[in-house]
Amino acid sequence: MDDVLTETVPAEELKKFEKAYHEQLYKQDVTPKAQFEYAWCLVRSKYPADIKKGIFLLQELFRTHEEGQRDYLYYLAIGNARIKQYTEALKYVRSFLNIEPGNSQVIALETTIKAKMDKEGLMGMAVAGGVVLAIGAAVGLGISILNKKS
Amino acid sequence: MSAGPYNYSYIFKYIIIGDMGVGKSCLLHQFTEKKFMSDCPHTIGVEFGTRIIEVAGQKIKLQIWDTAGQERFRAVTRSYYRGAAGALMVYDITRRSTYNHLSSWLTDTRNLTNPSTVIFLIGNKCDLEGQRDVTYEEAKQFADENGLMFVEASAKTGQNVEEAFLETARKIYQSIQDGRLDLNAAESGVQHKPSQPGRNTLSNDQQFNKDNCAC
Repeated sequence: MDDVLTETVPAEELKKFEKAYHEQLYKQDVTPKAQFEYAWCLVRSKYPADIKKGIFLLQELFRTHEEGQRDYLYYLAIGNARIKQYTEALKYVRSFLNIEPGNSQVIALETTIKAKMDKEGLMGMAVAGGVVLAIGAAVGLGISILNKKS
Repeated sequence: MSAGPYNYSYIFKYIIIGDMGVGKSCLLHQFTEKKFMSDCPHTIGVEFGTRIIEVAGQKIKLQIWDTAGQERFRAVTRSYYRGAAGALMVYDITRRSTYNHLSSWLTDTRNLTNPSTVIFLIGNKCDLEGQRDVTYEEAKQFADENGLMFVEASAKTGQNVEEAFLETARKIYQSIQDGRLDLNAAESGVQHKPSQPGRNTLSNDQQFNKDNCAC
């Protein structure tokens, strides 16, 4: 099931924007547009290393290019949430909502992030429950083996 | 976990495209929340919405990607067109420029989606009759010439909003029934989910096996 935190960029799209960015980087003349497009694809990658690189590029843009700051905050939140840095992600969400309270797109993102945290919290518990069951089973098996021996 | 993971049998992917400020996000919001957003900020990149609908007794989950209309997002939003089963192409009946750009949106859509993608043209803001800048007749003619479905709608009053989303789904479902849309193709924009009875059969089988093994 896809949503803004799980959909991934097609590999050839990522390559296309990577190439454009690197061409400008080579000429030492990177435009905010090329950097943003590349970073936006990176934070939608399935590889955490790409996402981290995207976050780095977005942070740089945020410091240097005032005009697109709301876009950079939004994708910084998405990038961080995708590598499970939820506290960091929610920090960017809150910074955004301080400037534009009531922005429904960002409120929806906040809800999605919190739902994901809840789900993973439950899943953590489920894993712990599984371990308890496994120990129980092992103990049970041990007892039955002992019983057979006797 | 009452309903299980799938209380629907299909997922259809939609995209919403068109110029900045034509009301794409408001249409999405009206469809998913049944509310009008009066103060609608510019979308950043893409926004996402879902709703489960029913077509011919089948529950279908619509997965809707609402793209930002601002030019600076356009290069990357194109990557969302791939694998869309439905495309809602929106213009504003009170701003002719948004209508004039439709051929460019249509070219993009045709190039980036597949032949079975259903394209639905929506003339939004039809509640603003006094400010009309594009007649119904000429838009209807444009739609007919290009084989598009068409309605005028209002995200504000809700008029024809349901119809546009649901008609698109009916057309997609019809394509599946007719065999024109290949469910196994990765780019079809349609996913078929195991239905409830199928899941029950599976658990019955497991039960059966377990009983057999108990001897």
